[in-house]
Amino acid sequence: MDNIPLIFFLWVGAFLFATGFAMMVMKRNTIFVLMGIELMLNAANLNLVAFSRSDDQNQGMMMGLFVLVVGVCEMAIALAVIIQVYRQFKGIDIDQFSSRN
Amino acid sequence: MLNSISLGFLVLALLTCGSALFMLVTRNLLHAALAMFLCMLGLAGLYVLAYADVMAVSHLLIYVGGVLILILFGIMMTQTPVKEGESVNHLWAEQSGRFWPLSMGLSIFMGLFWVLGHGNWSNEIAQTDSKIVQTGVAFLTEYSFPFELTGVFLLIALVGATFIAKNHG
Repeated sequence: MDNIPLIFFLWVGAFLFATGFAMMVMKRNTIFVLMGIELMLNAANLNLVAFSRSDDQNQGMMMGLFVLVVGVCEMAIALAVIIQVYRQFKGIDIDQFSSRN
Repeated sequence: MLNSISLGFLVLALLTCGSALFMLVTRNLLHAALAMFLCMLGLAGLYVLAYADVMAVSHLLIYVGGVLILILFGIMMTQTPVKEGESVNHLWAEQSGRFWPLSMGLSIFMGLFWVLGHGNWSNEIAQTDSKIVQTGVAFLTEYSFPFELTGVFLLIALVGATFIAKNHG
């Protein structure tokens, strides 16, 4: 057995996705929620790369590279929004965001 | 049975899953950022084991060099005193407990585990050597339009992020 079976990669991806989802709905701090979203994105990316292993044109890996760039854009915008929200609400807990002041 | 590749996969998968779990249970943001660093390291190793070396290197460069620094800046610029005992949001769980998020995550994992375990996946490897040349050629020929579009998208997103983060007051 020289190569890892594909199913192991998929299981690691499923674990990362479930952990990211639980982080997203459980945590109170917005940066934690963002980290959870990032984990879910990376789980999807791991699946793309793992499936691209048996493709001689590497389409999954190319898609994964583009997904990486889009994830960086998302992270930059989200952190900028978080900084603005911190200026507005003096905190980044999700519960305290409300426009009905 | 357990050759070096399998052992490496086991270690990297345990590193990735363990640090993701640590991110879930910890309350300290800086510890979570450190765990995210370990998680990204493990993921890059998994990419190497999936014969995607270009992906592994760019993942390390982008996540460890870019996103993690960005997250650390975000943590430092939004520091608030941590209130103990309240780390649950009400986005989904009205009960303000940890039970529903954790059980939903666990059921997602079990469902995916079960569904994926029943698939008939192909384990053949198309290409085991380096993919750098192939990726570079593909970026400049077949994927040249998405490549340019991604560059413009990145520029727009970064300029927009700078504008949003500016002090408008």
